[in-house]
Amino acid sequence: MQMNRDMNILVVDDFSTMRRIVKNLLKELGFHKFDEADDGATAWPMVQTGKYDFIVSDWNMPDMTGLDLLKHVRADANLQNTPFLLITAEAKRSQILEAAQAGVDGYIVKPFTAATLNGKIHKIFERVAEREKG
Amino acid sequence: MTCPSQIDIKMVQALLTALEADNQEQATVLLDDLTQLRESELYQRLSVLTNNLHGTLDQLIDNQLLLQTKHDIPEVTERLEYVLSSTEEACDKTLVSTEKAMVLSESISELIQDALLSDTQQAQIQCLLSELNTELTNILLSQSFQDLTGQVLNRVVLTISSLEQSLIQLISESGHDYAAIPDREKDDTIQKSAEMKGIGPNVTQKSKQDSVGSQDDVDDLLGELGI
Repeated sequence: MQMNRDMNILVVDDFSTMRRIVKNLLKELGFHKFDEADDGATAWPMVQTGKYDFIVSDWNMPDMTGLDLLKHVRADANLQNTPFLLITAEAKRSQILEAAQAGVDGYIVKPFTAATLNGKIHKIFERVAEREKG
Repeated sequence: MTCPSQIDIKMVQALLTALEADNQEQATVLLDDLTQLRESELYQRLSVLTNNLHGTLDQLIDNQLLLQTKHDIPEVTERLEYVLSSTEEACDKTLVSTEKAMVLSESISELIQDALLSDTQQAQIQCLLSELNTELTNILLSQSFQDLTGQVLNRVVLTISSLEQSLIQLISESGHDYAAIPDREKDDTIQKSAEMKGIGPNVTQKSKQDSVGSQDDVDDLLGELGI
């Protein structure tokens, strides 16, 4: 999957401020198709529609965590290759390793900069392209 | 509560007889005896009350309260201080960027006066710049929340510190050694479960243990795993 500025992105965070910040930064990077969800439990049925090419999610949310959302995505044969970026305040080494084990494509710790987000998105889609080439 | 010493009616009658006979010396002695009896009864009641209070304190100050006083309350203060410093830092960044944007807007305003533009175009651009300045001023003013929330948080920190001191005093007065209160027992399963749900920013000295300090540390850690 090549990085396409027209791709559908799902931004998942329980704080509306953070969803706005992420959306604005993604807009600055040229993306323009977004949907939002305020929790993993709200996001999961949306993800299951197969609409999204990229998921950006927080970890710590009330009903379903971002980590659980990631595990759901990776366990679904139709969705398992969807690029998944965690943007989170969770910064324990054990948590980062757990996310890696669950198959996260990128991990950004809050607070973060626009340059970090840009760099991570590029790396994720470079890796995805390489993976698809085989 | 029992009342071990009763006022004897005979003592009162003897006092009355002494007073009727105008025997002041005898009356004073009898009255002193009665008062002493009363005082001794009061002391006994106070002693029972004190014992009860100690018993209640012992029940009240259970292990949980000791641990909360020693570990949780100082952490609350640390967390609130993190909120204070991080909002102050964020406000400062916003103010610096807004002030820079205002200077840029001023420079654009001066530049377009020398540009080859029609009067209408000049007016349109000045109007847009004026709107931009209004928005920038709104951003500046909205940062005043930090002053108000900061004052509230400072008061909460003071109240919590005062509460902490009162609890430490209560613990000491009930015969516990505050310094000897042990660390919380670490349960790896509970800790792991909490971490998987998400524990939020690591802002206390204790929670910073085993945490990465920056995005570079995250990248290094994931890099080792080929991500």
